[in-house]
Amino acid sequence: MSEFSRDGELYSLDLSLDEAHILINLVEQLLELLGEGDFNHHYDESDPFAQLMSQLKAAPEEIIVPDDPVLLRLLPNAYADPEAAADFRRYTEPTLRGKKKRNLAQVRAALEVIVDEDRAGVVEDLDSETWLMAINDLRLALSVRLEVTPDSYEYFEALTDEDPQKPIFAVFFWLGWLQASLLNLLSNG
Amino acid sequence: MATDTMIESDLDISQLVDKPWVTIVWDDPVNLMSYVTFVFIKLFNFTAEHAHQLMLQVHNEGRAAVTSGSREEMERDVQRLHEHGLWATLQRDDKF
Repeated sequence: MSEFSRDGELYSLDLSLDEAHILINLVEQLLELLGEGDFNHHYDESDPFAQLMSQLKAAPEEIIVPDDPVLLRLLPNAYADPEAAADFRRYTEPTLRGKKKRNLAQVRAALEVIVDEDRAGVVEDLDSETWLMAINDLRLALSVRLEVTPDSYEYFEALTDEDPQKPIFAVFFWLGWLQASLLNLLSNG
Repeated sequence: MATDTMIESDLDISQLVDKPWVTIVWDDPVNLMSYVTFVFIKLFNFTAEHAHQLMLQVHNEGRAAVTSGSREEMERDVQRLHEHGLWATLQRDDKF
């Protein structure tokens, strides 16, 4: 299984073509959910992951609390008080959304090189913290759709191979493993 | 005649102290423990030990106050925690 590697301050990620496809599909779907659709898509509608995020709607004209639970997890309320939360959101949400989109777009651009050349490849000299945050946002998004709890690994292991949730849980846990490999490198020097 | 107790109860102490607001980080079942510790160190320059203890407090007690300061400072901290995917809110210190 692929993992991050580090040579001094240079970080890289060695990916199989399948892994690169899975990652770019998720990244593109989350970009769309965040309101960014201006790129060439690599996934088609038959993709088992395509339904996960595909709730693209016209962005509301006003900045209001998102009704999509994935967006609410990625762009949470800062105050328990609804009025204070709404005020804070009006001033800050575009910046927060913009940063998350920029992280994902940077990951997408690196993956696109591999996917478009249709071969396994190494993402070289990647920005480790951008990738760390982007992978975390992908995990958060998937966790909302999968309704992840502390007992989800046992639940996943008990699923039959035919269960449509099985591959999605597998990707969720793979992303956690990938993120841990990067954290391990970042925390050691 | 006003007793000391009455004087105290008439005052909103949070108006008088320097740091009346706190940033709370809430537990969630997704963020990796090593990631939460990493983010605390990165954003707040905590020692590894302090960051680790706060992460454990979030994990075991469901939440922890990670920073305190002015409302504006706490809003900045919450915004940065949200950028990193942690679930954070701010509130007056006396409500925590």
